[in-house]
Amino acid sequence: MLDVFNNVFTPSNVQFMAKGMALTLTLSVSVVIISIIFGTILALLRTYEKRFLGRLAGVYIEVFRNTPLLLWVLVCCFMIPYGSIVMRGGLALALYTSAVLAEIVRGGLNSIAEGQFEAAKSQGFTLIQTLTFIVLPQCFKRIIPSLLSQVITTIKDTSFLQVVAIPEYTRSGFVVMGRYTTTPEVFMIFSVLALGYFVVCFSLSCVVRSYQKRTETAS
Amino acid sequence: MKKVLSVLLVLGLVFTLAACAPAATTTSDSGADGSLDAVVKAGVLRVGVKEDVPNFGLKNTTTGEIEGFEIDIVKLLAKEILGDENAYELTPVTAKTRGPLLDNGEVDLIIATFTITDERKLTYNFSTPYYEDAVGLLVKKAAGFKGLADMDGKVIGVAQSATSKEAVNKVATEKGITVTFSEYATYPEIKAALDSGRVDAFCVDGSILGGYVDDSTMILPDRFSPQQYGVTSKLDNIALTEAVDGYISGWLADGTIEELITKWGLNY
Amino acid sequence: MKSSNPFALWRWEKMFGEWQMFGEGFLRTIEVAALALILAVVLGVIFGVISTSNNKVMRGIARVYVEFFQNTPLVIQVFFMYNGLAIAGLRLSVFAIGVLGVGIYHGAYVSEVVKTGITSISVGQVEAAKSQGFTYIQYMRYVILPQTIKIILPPLTNQAVNLIKNTSVLAMISGFDLMYMADSWASSSLDYGPSYVFAGLLYFMLCFPLATWARKYEERLKRNDIARVPFDPSEEAVTC
Repeated sequence: MLDVFNNVFTPSNVQFMAKGMALTLTLSVSVVIISIIFGTILALLRTYEKRFLGRLAGVYIEVFRNTPLLLWVLVCCFMIPYGSIVMRGGLALALYTSAVLAEIVRGGLNSIAEGQFEAAKSQGFTLIQTLTFIVLPQCFKRIIPSLLSQVITTIKDTSFLQVVAIPEYTRSGFVVMGRYTTTPEVFMIFSVLALGYFVVCFSLSCVVRSYQKRTETAS
Repeated sequence: MKKVLSVLLVLGLVFTLAACAPAATTTSDSGADGSLDAVVKAGVLRVGVKEDVPNFGLKNTTTGEIEGFEIDIVKLLAKEILGDENAYELTPVTAKTRGPLLDNGEVDLIIATFTITDERKLTYNFSTPYYEDAVGLLVKKAAGFKGLADMDGKVIGVAQSATSKEAVNKVATEKGITVTFSEYATYPEIKAALDSGRVDAFCVDGSILGGYVDDSTMILPDRFSPQQYGVTSKLDNIALTEAVDGYISGWLADGTIEELITKWGLNY
Repeated sequence: MKSSNPFALWRWEKMFGEWQMFGEGFLRTIEVAALALILAVVLGVIFGVISTSNNKVMRGIARVYVEFFQNTPLVIQVFFMYNGLAIAGLRLSVFAIGVLGVGIYHGAYVSEVVKTGITSISVGQVEAAKSQGFTYIQYMRYVILPQTIKIILPPLTNQAVNLIKNTSVLAMISGFDLMYMADSWASSSLDYGPSYVFAGLLYFMLCFPLATWARKYEERLKRNDIARVPFDPSEEAVTC
């Protein structure tokens, strides 16, 4: 058992996979940040803008929520003229995740009582001011658990990027696996792959749970 | 219902417009004859190469550099075009991603075990071939296969976008046997599928197979569909293609390429 | 010289000539999705009920199942079944891997949905049932679950949509589903545009009606006030 471990986990392999995990995490964080920004814009457009832009936002969200991520990864990586393959994969993930986040934000927006808008209007706030100072802060506070849950999903979604040989964690694991052919070695690599994701995602989900507990007892 | 119609309308509009648009999704940094100058001006030769094919383009996990026969060609070209053999930038590609990266202008050339075929000539420019190989089959020793004829009714693993599938199909039809194909995105996946018994053979150019042989596998003696590798450039980049072609022909004639082939142990 | 426009008309014609391939892929996607959904619901109900039991060991088992499958990527699970198990000697068909892999993965999510639904039914009902002499199994079956089903339909449909999209993972293991066919055609003919657009359209046609139905149903539930809806729209929107 121990010699299988040493055989598989040579320093260069470990380093290689660690770099993969670093890329996975970097990609996930960047994608989520971009998606929150773009998703919020989409959600605002869809909720408050009933004319052309709002309808367009609605179309965008529906298209990306009802088609698989893998499709967009392939489309972006094979049909877009700019950027490195990592950027293109990240773009695909961002486009997709933005639509998801738009719906999460929209859920938060809809839970804000109508009365707040009226109260703000009566105080002389414009719509933009109402949104910026009153509605959005409350909205984001409510959707924090969902946002974190989506981060977990995005971390897992980066594993889809391995089809285009982006060197994230899953891909690095598969490249290493290419050199080993016995059952214990292969199982060990799969275990490390699963463990890597599990540690990161489970910790995040514990954070979500404890946050939910805290806000529940508070309210 | 209205939402569905809007979506379909938007999609339909976008793609009708695109279909009617004139030919160019090409980027404008290399005009029909300005392609060579564009590279010189940029001061760096960007090339797509393989990073998982031993002796052709393989990433050395210790140094992090990609090394191989094709990288040496990149260095020679950089020396000729730009005067500095280190003025190059490598982008790792797979059989699947190499074409699109070239079309999009991400790289100037592809030197990545890219086989020249008539169909591909419609979409890309190729230089004079710098290496000839043939498609081979990697199988498990334990399976006891002796040749392609034993593959009747078996599953063969190939990489998407590679010529191996057509090559095997042609020979199989000639011999009157039927095979089924499983396609994968990259070579390590096909090797894993071979190890796990998902496919009975891993089919790709013999030189690539050479890097995946180990104690439990062997390459069958059959070789078919001679594959010629060429330096690939975009269809519109005539000047660049001609320049590169000139150099390659020169090196074929004076034995430089032969030396490199021997250096990397590629004479089969 | 042919145009390098990825959406040129001749590429569309070429692709539609191959419509059988796409049709087969589409059929397989539907088959895998349907069976995986059934498996996910069955597992979800079982583990959802177990996770509300009074037995600590049972709750622990449910928790392990849910945490493991929710915190590891589907891609790794599927590749493990495809290559890992096969090397160890167990070679399942790609169809079976699709159904099992996607079904077990989503079962974890469905079980959380079921759990939320069950716990939202007021404790008073459980007390009333117990006082009437119902056993655990009986009041689950006759009182709790029927009400639960109604309120969990919207988030369940959400899961179904995610499940359909996740069947695309079969493309990575040569699974002959819609995504594999589209990708295979796109790679060999270099006609990327039409291929991916057509595949996207087909997936959209499967998912969008379901998603819209879920939304309409949820609105109807809220209006009729049949039960408190315990699912936060933000939480529901999270994909998996």
